[in-house]
Amino acid sequence: MVTAFVMIKANTGEADRLRDSIETIEGVQSAHIVAGDVDIIAKAQVETPAAVKNIAATQIQGIDGVENTQTYIAMD
Amino acid sequence: MAWYTGANLLTRAGVLVFMRFVIIGAGRVGLRTARVLRDEGHEVTLIERDESKIRRARTQEFSVVEGDGSREEILEAADVTNADALGALTGDLNVNFTACMIANHYGCRTIMRIDEAYREEIYREYADEVDEVIYPERLGAIGAKNALLGGTIRAIADIAPHLQVVELTITNGAPVNGYTISELQLPADATVLAFGKHDQPLGIPDEDLSLEDGDRLVVLADFDVLSEVRQLLVGESPGKAAANAGSDATSGTGGVN
Repeated sequence: MVTAFVMIKANTGEADRLRDSIETIEGVQSAHIVAGDVDIIAKAQVETPAAVKNIAATQIQGIDGVENTQTYIAMD
Repeated sequence: MAWYTGANLLTRAGVLVFMRFVIIGAGRVGLRTARVLRDEGHEVTLIERDESKIRRARTQEFSVVEGDGSREEILEAADVTNADALGALTGDLNVNFTACMIANHYGCRTIMRIDEAYREEIYREYADEVDEVIYPERLGAIGAKNALLGGTIRAIADIAPHLQVVELTITNGAPVNGYTISELQLPADATVLAFGKHDQPLGIPDEDLSLEDGDRLVVLADFDVLSEVRQLLVGESPGKAAANAGSDATSGTGGVN
């Protein structure tokens, strides 16, 4: 099992739409709108590191209104 | 968004009441805000962590607390406990938001600066601890836009996302040129607030005065009817009026994006 946290920077004010789209992605456990220099943080739990890359780079970045993402893999 | 009764500058007796403010960030935005507040007689304490900015503020005789404005003990040192409002005006969103959370806990009215236009909507909706969101670049853009348009229309303030106060200068080509103020028929969602003959100061509108080239009207208008108002008073073609009103803006926050 790999747990990862994805920091998402938006370029739209429609934060709820982004959060809802992100939460429907398979492997994403939760997503929250946060204050600060990123707009949403999502937690994913998947089988392999490759699946993390698929969620962050392909699926989340493919959502309209996502500017960029930064992914952190949990080590514990 | 909670209305804060202490924010009224005038008491019922009409006596001026001075307020206490804490401002985090003594950079371009924070220091200028502090100066304007002090000029109006209010008491301001700045919080800043950069040494050269602290020196600059102190040279201008501001009281400055040195440190990180997102830390409670620093806010306490700036006497946030007795402040009427806090302006979190640094360029760092995390600092600004944390400071607002703490100040809100102390019962302060909170104003938070944000760094990108799209975030206005997000913070207005989700940040319960923040009473008002400020995007300084938007205000700068109003000034730049007015200068570029060349003077017949001047946006004074965005009152609400759909409500703007504008000053318009009547031209010879305006449909209402020669009418009196009582004859003037504006759309339903627009109200005349003030009127000034050419070269004279603005005042409360007098119904009998006529509207002539160079006269100025201050109008409060819903964004939907702004271009119509402009067309009536300034005489622009509908296409140009719509372009000036910025009705193609996508963010829905007025004509100054």
